[in-house]
Amino acid sequence: MFRSSTLRLAALYTAVFALSVVVLGVITVLTTRGALSAQFDARIAAESAALVQEYRSEGLNGVIEAVRERDRTPGAVDYGLQAPAGRPIAGRLAASRAAIGWSVLRGGRGRGEEAIRVLAIDLPDGYRLMVGDDDERIEALEGALVRGFAGAFVGVVVLGVAGGYALNRDVHRRLTAISGTAEAIIDGDLGRRVPVRGSDDDLDRLALTFNRMLDRIAGLMESLKQVSSDIAHDMRTPLTRLRHKLEAGLSAPQERGQALESALADLDSILDTFAGLLRIAQIEGGARRAAFRTSDLSAIGLTVVEAFAPSAEDAQQTLRLEADATAPVVGDPELLTQMLANLVENALRHAGPGADIRVVATLGETAATLSVIDNGPGVPALERERLFDRFYRLERSRSTPGSGLGLALVAAVAKLHGAEVRLIAADPGLEARVTFPAMS
Amino acid sequence: MKLLIVEDDKETAAYLKRALSEAGHTVDAAASGRSGLLLAAGEPYDVIILDRMLPEIDGVAILRTIRASGVKTPVLLLTALGGIDDRVEGLEAGGDDYLVKPFAFAELLARVNALARRPPPQEVRTELVVADLKLDLLKHTVSRAGRRIELQPREFQLLEYLLRHAGRVVTRTMLLESVWDFHFDPKTNIVETHMSRLRGKIDRGHACELIHTVRGAGYVLREPD
Repeated sequence: MFRSSTLRLAALYTAVFALSVVVLGVITVLTTRGALSAQFDARIAAESAALVQEYRSEGLNGVIEAVRERDRTPGAVDYGLQAPAGRPIAGRLAASRAAIGWSVLRGGRGRGEEAIRVLAIDLPDGYRLMVGDDDERIEALEGALVRGFAGAFVGVVVLGVAGGYALNRDVHRRLTAISGTAEAIIDGDLGRRVPVRGSDDDLDRLALTFNRMLDRIAGLMESLKQVSSDIAHDMRTPLTRLRHKLEAGLSAPQERGQALESALADLDSILDTFAGLLRIAQIEGGARRAAFRTSDLSAIGLTVVEAFAPSAEDAQQTLRLEADATAPVVGDPELLTQMLANLVENALRHAGPGADIRVVATLGETAATLSVIDNGPGVPALERERLFDRFYRLERSRSTPGSGLGLALVAAVAKLHGAEVRLIAADPGLEARVTFPAMS
Repeated sequence: MKLLIVEDDKETAAYLKRALSEAGHTVDAAASGRSGLLLAAGEPYDVIILDRMLPEIDGVAILRTIRASGVKTPVLLLTALGGIDDRVEGLEAGGDDYLVKPFAFAELLARVNALARRPPPQEVRTELVVADLKLDLLKHTVSRAGRRIELQPREFQLLEYLLRHAGRVVTRTMLLESVWDFHFDPKTNIVETHMSRLRGKIDRGHACELIHTVRGAGYVLREPD
């Protein structure tokens, strides 16, 4: 039973609370008794003083009269007046034998074994005056306090045990849900998620984090599956072609050199595709975030435009940079360079001869944007999003070289940076725009 | 040059040994990390070619060990791991260059030649000279046969790299990595277009060309015969 951490905690709390009730009770009873006794003694002393005053002003008869008068009054304290040699004169305590000063008498009034606290003083001429009262009220109050605290003690223990049990059942149920989900996933049901209550407490937040982790893992699994099926589908064709060339080289010795050379070129392009797929998978895996640092999109734009401008010029295209002085983002400069290079190559390849291609790096109010804008034929709206899929190529560009992985890599790099990449109609032409999140 | 290959795959090792020997080098091969470590620490080599993943001791561990024991021989790491982090880790462990498998033999040969240490020049060089081509590192000027040549910044870097490796073949990938800092393979012929512009400025109108294309390998800048 105590293997449940909630229950152990509840038991500990109950014990601590019960102990504090006991300590609080003891302190309360002791202080109450002290305060009441002091009050009690003060009243008796005041009565004695008043009677001594009476004796002085009115004589013995005045005191006797006063004692008798007070004995008849209900609720008053008890009195006793003795003549020399202990002969009782007046008052209910008259027969008692009390020494001078404070003392406690038992059964002094003939009312059983009640304890009476008495102050005895000597009057002049051998008379003795006793004033006292029983402890009954103090004891009654004390009894009430003790009963009250005992009730509280029982209440705390009962509530603690019941609450701990209820809490334990609730926490236990929710933890069972989490471990049940984990078990289901171990058994292969990757779609299972921990139920979330919506109460935003710690267990709920744990469940949310757990679910996000599962989403991430599911995403990675999905991308892994995607890569495997991509390799299976899209590498088979070029591998078959390679095989045919090698076979042709074997059967026709006079063309061997040419066949081998062509096979090598095919192999290189296959390896290239393979490396591209692995790289995308690696980026999607998110392992590169450790290398993030402040990178300037304007500087990256300059490097890439400068590198590709001569090639553009040779194809009768123009490639220009329009950049703010600086456009900082947090990221991996190496991957950002490759991303921009892919976008520029894409534009160079598909915008056609005579096209004007602009690389625009801007720093907005909160976030930086990197765009590659061409004035080529553009892409139909329906096909724009699919362009980011691996190996997806427009029908009309099937004949041009390219692996169909360029934009998939762009999408992967953008996602790694938390950036949004969109293809927008530029009328005429196409704009590929990457919007980065604000730098914190 | 005297080379050491540490590679556990027998076929690869044998192929590299034969091809490097044919290229005029003396080659020792070690098939395990331990024997590689013993040879690397004991013999004076010009370049060590070290496979990243070896049985027993991993390549990076070997590299750290030989660097810790004061061996300064240039090391070219070969790897089947193409990740950026793997490259960074290899270079941080003391590697001088990094080549991802599979690679063309011409690429390996060019990199081995580029790594081989030359006797250090007596004084700090402020000028790189091949034949009548002069590049002034301080003034950032280039001239051929006394005539000043205007170069774009990237063309200047390209020429400087060729001059520093004069007489040795440099590959397209080496140029992309060192001149542009591009660690990926662009599908566009950016090296070729820059090179053709540079050659236009350096060689056009001169009787002998200094920059040559080496088919299937790369480029070389060398003294005319």
